Amino acid sequence: MAHEHTLMSPTSLASLSTKTSYYLPPWSRPHIIGIAGSSGSGKTSVASQIIKALNVPWTVILSFDNFYRPLSRTQREQAFANEYDFDAPEALDLDMLVDVLTDLRHGKKVEVPVYSFSEHNRTKLSTTIYGANVIILEGIFTLYDPRIVELLDLKVFVDTDLDICMARRLRRDIVHRGRELKGAMKQWFSFVKPNFERYVRPTMRQADVVVPRGLDNVVAIDMLIKHVQRTLAAKSRLHLEQLGQLVGTTDANTEFAAKAGMDVRVLPQTPQVQAMHTILFNRATTRADFVFYFERLMAILIESALDYVPYEAKKVKTATGREYTGLSATMETCAVSILRAGACFETSLRRILPAIAIGKVLIQSNSRTGEPFLHYLKLPPHIENKFILLVDAQATTGAAAIMAIRVLLDHGAQPENICFVTYLADKRAAIRRILAAYPKVKVVVGKVEDQIRRRFIDTRYFGT
Amino acid sequence: MASNEASSTPTVSITDAPVNVTVLQQTPQLIALYTIIRDVNTQRADFVFYSNRIIRLLVEEGLNHLPVQATSVSTPTDLTYNGLKFQGKICGVSIMRAGESMEQGLRDCCRSVRIGKILIQRDDETAEAKLFYEKLPEDIKDRYVLLLDPMLATGGSAIMAVDVLIAKGVPVERILFVNLISSPEGIAAFAKKFPKLKVITGFIDEGLNDKKFVIPGLGDFGDRYYCI
Repeated sequence: MAHEHTLMSPTSLASLSTKTSYYLPPWSRPHIIGIAGSSGSGKTSVASQIIKALNVPWTVILSFDNFYRPLSRTQREQAFANEYDFDAPEALDLDMLVDVLTDLRHGKKVEVPVYSFSEHNRTKLSTTIYGANVIILEGIFTLYDPRIVELLDLKVFVDTDLDICMARRLRRDIVHRGRELKGAMKQWFSFVKPNFERYVRPTMRQADVVVPRGLDNVVAIDMLIKHVQRTLAAKSRLHLEQLGQLVGTTDANTEFAAKAGMDVRVLPQTPQVQAMHTILFNRATTRADFVFYFERLMAILIESALDYVPYEAKKVKTATGREYTGLSATMETCAVSILRAGACFETSLRRILPAIAIGKVLIQSNSRTGEPFLHYLKLPPHIENKFILLVDAQATTGAAAIMAIRVLLDHGAQPENICFVTYLADKRAAIRRILAAYPKVKVVVGKVEDQIRRRFIDTRYFGT
Repeated sequence: MASNEASSTPTVSITDAPVNVTVLQQTPQLIALYTIIRDVNTQRADFVFYSNRIIRLLVEEGLNHLPVQATSVSTPTDLTYNGLKFQGKICGVSIMRAGESMEQGLRDCCRSVRIGKILIQRDDETAEAKLFYEKLPEDIKDRYVLLLDPMLATGGSAIMAVDVLIAKGVPVERILFVNLISSPEGIAAFAKKFPKLKVITGFIDEGLNDKKFVIPGLGDFGDRYYCI
């Protein structure tokens, strides 16, 4: 993808937003906050407090604890005897952390290792991080490695009195990690404290903000939160502006798309199809009828979308003993529904493809600004080898579809194998924006709308 | 006519047909559905499932030949929407036994549709059609009739069924004959006998073999749907 090769500051994002053919989701440039400080200084609490106050849909706390190097047998024995130095930079796989953070900065999906403190080893598990708007990196060495410092948008140092740090650490080691008091004390005085003075305290001068007394410092935490909120609000404005800029200068319609060689198909508006629209648009229609006609119409729409599946010639023998050369799909079809309205398609999908794998993406727009947010994601495996029907009942601004397509591409889907299927689409906003952002994606629409119509299909279909 | 000359090119329906005949658009996905049901190795579960998908497309196409009337309704968002509403009563008539396989597809599109039956059997010796039984809605003369039979071979039994409907007072232009595969011979026989009757088919095949089966065809539809 053309836009993935550079790191972008908010200013370059703004200049980019005047072009019409890019879409950068919020996570392509997440806000990364680094929090450093001594062990027991309250870094995690400060991070949690910030996240709680931000109330942004997708936030992640990334801890240095996940990046301990796997120990050799000798080192493990030392560790169990409290003689291994976990508080030296060498104990951490900083190269790996830099890689992970760099990928996150570019909006890519990353796998974070899971470290077991009781085993003193990396486990076979990993945690997937994708789609976060805000990432908080916390650990004593957050501000130690210049490669990491460079990737941070906001650098915080929590400067809590070392006596308090020790008390907190001992309590955690003994109560939560099952250590002996003696061993924990030994660790503190031989490694934690000297290393803090040697490696960590000097990094304080890298910080943008030093927070004395940690979580108790209500004023400082509040200022931090306000600052992050302002930055995120500016990002949201740019995001919305950029979605708006995806609309070109001409009035988009399907002829426009056809001329541009794009794959847009609107269901032929036959008498039956028009009569079904009328039933679905009529507020006097009962829900039983609404569900029946919606499913009937969507079955036609899905059959039509399946024309875009790649096919190859196939020779078969018929029961009359003759040969027939027909076609056979070369690729498995899966579906991804944009919740909640996309879920209205599932019965129709299963009627046509009973065994189809259906993934879900929950994207909700802020009711005030209309900015879309990714809340939840579960995709079928190996979408890179599949034809994907991305379904939503209605596309008004196109924002949710554009974000969902970005999600599919980030997970390896090929743009030419994505087919966005929707019942209603606004011609000025939705269709044009989607095609401006992703010219290779196919679009199949049941009815093109001249004006933006409020979402109503899912409410009628589900009755809620 | 598409031919089998190049073996790697899929064969599509003959499209040169009389005006009363509508052939479904030969899209890749329709051809793929036909490839599955034609394949002698396709098991019955798949045969039934994929036939039903084609039948629904045929029924949807058939219903488009029914009249509609302009109407305006109020939307949930309090706007007026100018649209269309269905006009005219319909019913289905299946030619037993194979035609009954199309009833589910019809019901999928028209939930409470009335369905009449006609039993016509082809004499295996003479290939002549013979009427055994009929049970039709009483008011059939006031309805549009979707006549269901999956294969149009010589047209013998379907022509006999149409004669039954006409005898009940159904105007010929209100009869829609819906089938999956037709032979050019059957299409021609229909066009000659009932030029005003509409035929909706998914595929016009190459011709008939000496046993009067459509070729390449798919064999005996009823057998593949119901038994063996």
